[in-house]
Parts: sequence; C-alpha cells; structure tokens
Amino acid sequence: MVEYDRTPLANTGSMDSLRICVVGVGGAGSNVLDRITMDRTVDATLVSFQTDVRVLNRSSAPRKVQLGTELMRGVGSGGDPDLGREAAMFSKDEIRASLEGHDMVFISAGLGGGTGSGAAPVIAEIAKSTGAIVVVFATVPFSFEGRRRQQQSADALERLQKCTDALILFDNNRMGELVLPKDGIQKVFAQGDQLIAQSVRAVTGIVSATGLVKLGLDDLVSALRVSEGRCLFGFGESKGKDRGSEALKRALKSPLINEGDLLANAKNLLVHIVGGDSLTLAEVEQIMKQLGRYVPDETQILFGIGVDPKMGDSLAVTLISALSAQDLSTARRFTEEQDTVRPKRAAIVKTVVAPPITQDAEDLFQSTTNGHLSTRAMEAARVSVAPPPAALLKPEAPVARPAPQHISTPAYAPVAGEVVYAVEEEFEEEVEMAPELVADAAPPPRDAARSRLMSFINTEKAATQPEKVKSPPPPPVDEIEIEAPLPAVVDSRAEPVPAAIIRATPQVRPVAVTDRVLVSRTAPSVEEPEPTATVDLFGGRGAVEAPPVKKPVPVPVEQQTLSLGGDKSGRFKDTEPSYATQGGDDLDVPTWMRLRRRANR
Amino acid sequence: MAKSTIYAGLEIGTHKICVVVGEAKRDGAIKILGVGQAPSRGVRKGEIVDFDKVQTCLNEALVRAEDRSDVMIRNVFLGVSGAHIESLNNRGLYRLPEDQGEITEDDVEEAKEIARNVPVPQQNVFLHSITRQYIVDGQEAVRQPIGREARSLEADYHIIHGVRGRIQNAIRCVREIPLEVEDVVFNPIAAAQVVLNREAKHQGSLMLDFGAGTVDYVLYEDGMVTASGCIPLGGDHITQDIAQAFQMPTPRAERLKIDEGSAFYQDVPVDALLRVEDDNGLHVGDVERAFLNEVIYLRTEEIFSQVKLRVEEHLGKLAAGVFLTGGVSLMKGVDAVARDVFGLKVTKAGSAPVSGVTATFENPQYSAPIGLIRYAQILDSEKPFLSPLARLGRRMADLLH
Repeated sequence: MVEYDRTPLANTGSMDSLRICVVGVGGAGSNVLDRITMDRTVDATLVSFQTDVRVLNRSSAPRKVQLGTELMRGVGSGGDPDLGREAAMFSKDEIRASLEGHDMVFISAGLGGGTGSGAAPVIAEIAKSTGAIVVVFATVPFSFEGRRRQQQSADALERLQKCTDALILFDNNRMGELVLPKDGIQKVFAQGDQLIAQSVRAVTGIVSATGLVKLGLDDLVSALRVSEGRCLFGFGESKGKDRGSEALKRALKSPLINEGDLLANAKNLLVHIVGGDSLTLAEVEQIMKQLGRYVPDETQILFGIGVDPKMGDSLAVTLISALSAQDLSTARRFTEEQDTVRPKRAAIVKTVVAPPITQDAEDLFQSTTNGHLSTRAMEAARVSVAPPPAALLKPEAPVARPAPQHISTPAYAPVAGEVVYAVEEEFEEEVEMAPELVADAAPPPRDAARSRLMSFINTEKAATQPEKVKSPPPPPVDEIEIEAPLPAVVDSRAEPVPAAIIRATPQVRPVAVTDRVLVSRTAPSVEEPEPTATVDLFGGRGAVEAPPVKKPVPVPVEQQTLSLGGDKSGRFKDTEPSYATQGGDDLDVPTWMRLRRRANR
Repeated sequence: MAKSTIYAGLEIGTHKICVVVGEAKRDGAIKILGVGQAPSRGVRKGEIVDFDKVQTCLNEALVRAEDRSDVMIRNVFLGVSGAHIESLNNRGLYRLPEDQGEITEDDVEEAKEIARNVPVPQQNVFLHSITRQYIVDGQEAVRQPIGREARSLEADYHIIHGVRGRIQNAIRCVREIPLEVEDVVFNPIAAAQVVLNREAKHQGSLMLDFGAGTVDYVLYEDGMVTASGCIPLGGDHITQDIAQAFQMPTPRAERLKIDEGSAFYQDVPVDALLRVEDDNGLHVGDVERAFLNEVIYLRTEEIFSQVKLRVEEHLGKLAAGVFLTGGVSLMKGVDAVARDVFGLKVTKAGSAPVSGVTATFENPQYSAPIGLIRYAQILDSEKPFLSPLARLGRRMADLLH
C-alpha cells in the first residue's frame, strides 16, 4: 500500500536499460519460469529459487539458487511455510546477491505449499529492500487441496501484500476454463503456466517497452486498483491479414474477460498494443474502436502503444483491468447498458463504512450528514473504506451511509514519526520478523491490513465525537472483534527519507485505543499513495480477503475516443495494388514491345 | 408501390457514352425503351479527364436516348469504373447479449455495422457494401438470420470502395448537365446482374467486362460476390499496340482491329497479308496477319493474366466458368485466350434477354448500362415500403447527418 517510489527509477536513466529479474519460487513458480525461459520472450534475468534440489535440477532457468542448503539438505519444505521461510532466511545473502541490481523483480510463486508460501514473501522483501519494484504473480491453490493450504496461501498473501507494488492472483480453480474439459490435465497446467508467462511478458512489455504512447507501473497499478476483486487479463497476438482485430479477438477470448462481457463494468482498463515496425495507426485505431464496444463510456482507458522490432509481423494486444467482487456478481446481469453502473455503485455504498480520518474527511463527514455531498468534497476526502463487522455497522449506519464508494483512503497515510511511536505504545506487539530484515527494508513494506485497523480506530473516533454527530455511543473497545490478526506497519512518509519503520506483526491486537492517539492520527494526510493492488485473478474463491483499499475513482472523464486519423483511415495492405505491375513495367507500353526489349536484354 | 417504374442508366465509358432507358414492370421484367449512344471523348481508362468534352458527348447521348424512348430523363443511375476502385471482404462478429437467445433485427444491424466498420484508405468512400452471407454460430451461408437461435452472429460483407474525389468528379460532371444522380454503381456489379443468371452465380463464375479502357471483373462464389475490381487495361491498349507495331494512325489501327483482328495467331500462314486501305479506299500498305494477331494475342493474354493475378485464389470454385462481355469480347479468339489463361470454360455473353430494342441486349457492349436498369430495379424491390411521409422523414434525417 505504498506509492511506488519513482526516485530510484529516475536515477537508473533510460527505460531501455531497465533491468528485469523474473524469479520463480517453489514448484509452481519453477514451472512458470521454465515456460518463460523456453519462450525467450522476456529480456530478463531468470532465477529459480528452490528448496528441493530435484526441482532445481529439472528447472531450465539459467540461474538457480538452492534455498537453505545446510538446513534442508536439498529436500523440499514439505508443505510447511515456516520451513520455507527458514530456508529463505538461511540463504538470505544468496538471494540478495542474485536480485541486486535489478529495477524490477517479478516473483512467480504458487501459494499454499511450503516454499512458495514461505519463501516468496521473504524474497519479495529482500527484493524490495534492494530498491526494485516488486510485482508478484501468485497462484492460489485448488479448493480441493483443503482448508489448510488455503489458509497458508491466505497468510502468505497477507505477507506478500506488504512488500509488493502489484500483486496479481491466479486462481487455480478457474484454470480449467482455459481449456476444454476433455483436455488432459497436463494441458490445463501448461495453459495456466502459459497464461502467467504471458502476463509476465505483458507486464514487462508495458513497463519496459519503448512506447510511443507509454504506460508505466503507475498505470498498471491504477488499472488493478480494485481490491478483493478479480483481475481481467487478456492477451492476444496475431499476425498476417487483419491482425489487429484478430489479436483483439483473442485477447477478449480469455476466460478471465468472459468474452468481453466483464469489461462492461470495468472502471479502469489498461490497453497495450505492441507491434513490430509495421504497426500502423489505422490498426491501432481499429482496435480501439472495436474495443470501445465492450467498455462503457465512463471507463478510464489507460492506453499505450509500443513498438518492438522483435515482434516482427505480429501484433499483440494486452488488456488488464480489475473488477471488484460486487461488480463481478452483477456484471453478468447488465452487460451493455451503461446506466446500470450507477445503481450498482449505490448498492456498494451501503456495505461500506468510510470513517473520516483527515480534516478534509471531517468536513465531508459533516457535509454528508447534512445531505450535501459535493464532488469536491469527495475528491478531497481520503477515507478508508473497510467492511466493519456487522455489529459495528449498525450503530454507525447513519454515519456510514453517506460515504460513497469512490472515496477511499490512503492505505498508508503519512503519519508523523511521533505519532508512530504513540501508536506503538498503544499496541501490544511482538515483532516476529527477523530484526535484520526490518533494518534492511529501506522502503517500508506496504501494509494493507493497516487500513482496516485505521478504519476501526477511526470509526470509533467518529463515534466518540457526539458533538459532531448524534450517533449512538461508541461500542466498547473490547467489542471490536478482529478475527484476522492485524499487522500494522507504519512509516513516516512525511520525511523524504523514512526515518523509522515500526512493524507490528500479525499477532498484534489492539487492546486499548485512546482518544489521544486518535486525535493525533488525524494529522496530516496529504499525499495520495498508490495502493498495492490486490487482485484475485480468478474470481476470489479461496483468495485471501484483501483489505479493501480504494483510491478515489477519477470523476468519470469523458472517454477519449482515439481518433488519430480521420473517419476512415486506412490499411492499404488489405487492398490489392491498384496497378499490378509486372516487374515494374509500364503496362501502357505495347506488350510486344516490352517482350522484345526483354528478349534483347 | 407495385407499378412500373422507368429508370435511366448512364455509363460513361472510354469508348462510348451510353444512356439506356428501361422500364421495370410489375412482374419484374425489364423493357428497354431506348438507347442513346455517343462516342466518348475526354475519358481515359474509364475515368473522366476532360469535363467539357464529356459533357458535350453526354448531352448528345442523352438527347438521342430521350428521342428514342420518348422519356424525359431527370435521374440516372451512374455506372462508374476506374483503377482506384477496390474491394475487400470483411466479417463483423456480434455476440448476442447473455439473456437473449434469438437473433433480432437489431442484432443483424449491429453485426452489419461492425462488418462495415473496416478501415479503408482515408480518401476512399464505400461504393457498395454487399451482404454476402451471415454466419450464425459458425454455420455459414445463412441467408436469413432473424429469428434463429444463436449465441453469435457474423455478417460477411463485400465492400467496394474507391477514391472519393474521383467518384465525386464523375457525379459532378453528370450533375452539371443537369442530371440528378440517383445512385452510383460499380459497372461490373451492374453488368453481372444481367450477364450472370442465378445458376451461374451459384456455381461460381467470373464475369469480365472487357471494355475499351478497363477490364472490370466480378467474381461470384456460391451465389455471393467474392471479388471485384478493375484493371486499367482494355481494348484501347490493343489498338495502341497495333498502331505502334505497324506505324499507323490510331483510327486506322482501331478499324483494323475491329475488322480483321483476332487473337488466333498460331495457325495463321506466315505469308498471309492483309491489305490496309485509307479512308478513301486507297491501298496504303500490307500487314502481316500473323504479326497482327500475335500483337493482339500478347496484349489480350497479358490483360487476362492481370485479372488472374487478382482472382487466382478463387479460380478453383468456378464451375460456371468465365463470362466475357464488353466491347472487346466481340473480337475473334478472345475467348480462346481467356480459356488458355484461366483454364476454365469461357462463355461470350451479352445481357440476358430483355424485351425492347432487340438489337441492343444481344450486344455485349450494352451489358453494363442495361445492368444498371436491373440494378435499379433490384435496389427498389429491396427497399422496404415507406409511406411518402416516412420517406420525407428519412430524407430530412439524411440531410441532418
């Protein structure tokens, strides 16, 4: 839940020299990595991290690191994430050595097992500490793998969220949709790996390719900026005649997009078109025009074009978007109508509590209770949106209702250093993370769960201000039930250099929260941070319940229709040459004369 | 609505300008009321290069047509041609909404809209967009999709487009007469309506309108227009070849081509000589017949090869073979050359029988203008019935667009 830091990027010079590292952790990660290695499509360092020496031997990655050599002795972690984590800790230095010097690190891991769930967060953390941008592609186990593995993957996800810039989830349960039911299981997995490999490639392409119309990680993050949802990813590549529409057709064919139906509810859509030197404006325009049929006008389209000579004749279209779970369930009801988007949002509002935390938010708070809700206020307010326990929701109902879903909070509000300590005092906490790691982590890990905590605190605060709102007295603090352990990480973003990082571990339980702290918390919250987008690629089943973090959805800008040429601009290659010349001959010259000339030559 | 209507077709050809007045009867029969023709000047390769000359010739042809048919011509269907006219096939896929199982008219419109949304060169406009077929859930060649149970509907279009300015210039030239242009039609599309019968279209056929300035072709496959186009080579090139080969003036070469020209050159005895006379009947020289025929053969063969280059991929499906029409198809041996080039059965054909001036419809020169009448009739019959009020409304809507 941290705005991705642009400063290190600026220092690295041009994007052409972006150094990318793709990491596979555990068995599943290794498979994906193998796929990427074989495709040779991503220009990156490929590293495989394994505990099991057999997996490592089979892996075709050019660089292999065995985790916890002394500890594990080449045996796998046996599905125990603690063991996986231990192993990663052991090989900390080797991991750092292989990750160092990269601008972006893609981590591919299968969650639920030992190495993937245990080591991946550690690796992500180390990667983060080297100053790289970390993007995680994770698969969530099949539901038939049992509750325990689900729980392990949920835990791992929570850890991963803290230290990644973007998290893209693939749900194994939906993997079957990629292929026909009668296809062999091998094909299912191969397709799944391929999909992940494609998305790695697409994301690398988006972030690194020299773009005519460039997209960056910020665009990617904002496209994925819906939590507890599902990522819509579509990739299509085609060559030859009609390649533009063909590629788009393939991209839409992705089951994750459901033949384009799901796009009707997308609020942000990232479109990236990459082609070789032969990419024409008309093709781009045609693709965007066709795509326009699938997305409503309010959708913010993040659009990019890249030219990659390596593509040759082919053209690739990548669509990335995310839908929240609510949208997803309603998506199928209404597909084409755009009007349906609004009522849906209204429905969401009811389920959401948005306690104000900033001065702005308090203004909003008042104005909304009065029944006036201006867009300006909405914009100004940066309010955490979190689903509170139902019991809490009820007494707060009048407060909660006016907060619309657009309003969201900095997952990660900048808080002054003293406040941090104050918070620390109020919490009973035990730091579980290795202290040296914490010290290393220069850019603070993103804490998703914290926003939820904040919202609790603030909800309470709102309740304790009877002079402002006539709301029922606050429920006793003890009544606040937090089922999930709440990690709290606070960093001070107010200073350019993070001064202190205090991390509350998952075992933290807020015992008493005093008014003093709460008041101090309402201190400056100015910056609007980029949340880590947590997205469940395949529908949220079995995925960890990600803390809902929502950035203010931009006020629906009128969608720019990409009209680069006139109304009918052209692709000439489809049309025959108007004048079929024979070896450059002028056909108006008598045939016999040309033949004679040719004979004389 | 079922009353006979009088249409006028105008073709501005490289060799001649021709106005045909025809009456479309209630039963669908066509009666040719009159034909006005004038030699054409100021037209090159099927396109107008000199407005004034063309207008003079056009006036002449118009007056003759009005005289013969006793009809005052106000509106014409204009046949156009030219190398800039190109064609392509495009499909538009429309996926029906989840909750809908049956194809409605709106869905068809949507699919058509998608199919028509094909990028053509910027300066080009659509001349025709002809529905070839509908593909319903992958089932091809569906003619009538409305009411069918389906998940997806694809409209398959044959789109003919040309350079806006070049088409508009032809229209402007005619408007200045003044004549109102009701519709602009690509010549071979019109000609095919009378040259090819339903059977030929279904079996698959290639129609070549071998004119003086251009060869226009249209290819039918399975009853659907699959390819069409124009090659800027024609009879005038043959004449020019002869003129240059024998060092004689073009009119004399033209005369020689029409009177004696043939594309058979192999069995001609080498010493066979042709006497060439000037306008007064005086002997000006002799021409070797074998050489003359070879010159003609080479050019004709080349023109057909040019057509073949463009339709090669479809040649396997033409059971009905090649239909030759247009002025040059009157030349001896041209069908044999076509047979050699395409390897298909070749038929020289004029317009299908229509009543009226009998001498006219048999002449392949008039295929295109008569086809224009037929095209107009088809167009009208396909138009949904509109009350005068609705028609007014539509016109207003058109104006507002």
